[in-house]
Amino acid sequence: MQQTQPSLRTRIGAALLASSGMAFLAGFGNSCNLDPVHRAGVTNLGDENASQYPVQSEYHRPGEPCALCHSKEGPAGTEYVLAGTIFWGPDRYDRRVDQAYVRIGGPEKTTKCFVTNCNGNFFVKAEDYKNLKFPLLVSVERVNLPGGPGPNDEKSIAVRRMSGHIGREPSCATCHILGLRDFGSPGQIRLFDTEAAVDTARPPIPKNCPNEEPRQTLCPEDRF
Amino acid sequence: MKLSLPRSLRSASTSLRSAFLLSAASLGLAAATTLSCASTPDTDRVTDVIIPDFDTYVQYVDAYLTRRCGTLDCHGQPGRAYRVYSREGYRLYSIQDGGLVSGQQPTQPEEQRANFQALISIEPEEMTRLMARQGQNPNLLLFLRKPLRFNGERHKGGPSMAEDDPGYRCVVAWLSIPVVDGAGVPIPKAQRAKLSANAVRSCADATNFP
Repeated sequence: MQQTQPSLRTRIGAALLASSGMAFLAGFGNSCNLDPVHRAGVTNLGDENASQYPVQSEYHRPGEPCALCHSKEGPAGTEYVLAGTIFWGPDRYDRRVDQAYVRIGGPEKTTKCFVTNCNGNFFVKAEDYKNLKFPLLVSVERVNLPGGPGPNDEKSIAVRRMSGHIGREPSCATCHILGLRDFGSPGQIRLFDTEAAVDTARPPIPKNCPNEEPRQTLCPEDRF
Repeated sequence: MKLSLPRSLRSASTSLRSAFLLSAASLGLAAATTLSCASTPDTDRVTDVIIPDFDTYVQYVDAYLTRRCGTLDCHGQPGRAYRVYSREGYRLYSIQDGGLVSGQQPTQPEEQRANFQALISIEPEEMTRLMARQGQNPNLLLFLRKPLRFNGERHKGGPSMAEDDPGYRCVVAWLSIPVVDGAGVPIPKAQRAKLSANAVRSCADATNFP
């Protein structure tokens, strides 16, 4: 039996069809999140809580794992290499630390300091810490009046250092799980170990966030 | 001459053939399934493991490994084969009525034992061979191959040991303590060698990292 060879036109058509199929698949994979674990993690965060913070802003979702969405996988547009939220005490969600100094030390003696916003959030983009390498040591400090003119303004209200280091996780809240202090999590990052100690210290907590209050955005070592 | 069977007989013959084919297929499937499945685990089987010196591990090595490897975002997690319990990370839930909290109480002896068991259990046979040759060529252990990225071994946490760092020296010095003699006879604990002063210093330096 004689076999008929496909014509050149047919072969070109088939090649074009195959390439467009591949391009479609690549585009689909690129635009959608095909990682079920990541997708489930993002879904499990739930909806934003507009009564607690301005949604879709740098103040949103305090205490949640920032770099889950702010990563290559998305869905956030910006990517963070390190981010988290600082609280005053171990239990209360509404007492977050404005203008805390978050100091990060890398293995090659690199150090960087970042300041939290009025909702206690801080975030580090790749360009903010170009030679960031893990493991990292972290400490958090809040002074009386950051950047104030008085001699005691830069005096500490509280300083906390991590007893361990960060191995590779960019979101503080992945380990410092909100509302959970147990065998698998040290709980939210806080400057005081009890809420009673926070009451005694009477730290400055902004009534509104965002607000028009003057604020410091640089740590003392970065002010020239 | 062609023989033709009555319709009822032909139908019976077809049914028989179908039944035969179905039975044969079922038997084949059963045989294939049996062959492809693993046998029932033998609960009486015991693997003898020659383990490295436990007391030295507790005294010098555990603190380094828990600090270096046991953070909550690395091996301080329930999902890890090499699972590390410590003050700095994951806590052993079964002690103190589950009251140990991450970052709080000091690492407990039960946690150190669990860490030791986890380390041995990664490759019990390979660990046995290493102990039998008295610690020679320790980089064959997966436990060292991964953090060293030895021979291209993959480690999600990146290179977390190097052959010239004190942590590696500490671990290798511990694994080099002979626990059996050349004939494979166990050396009693009291007669085992101790870590050298240099090795003890390496362990201390490594524990203070970073």
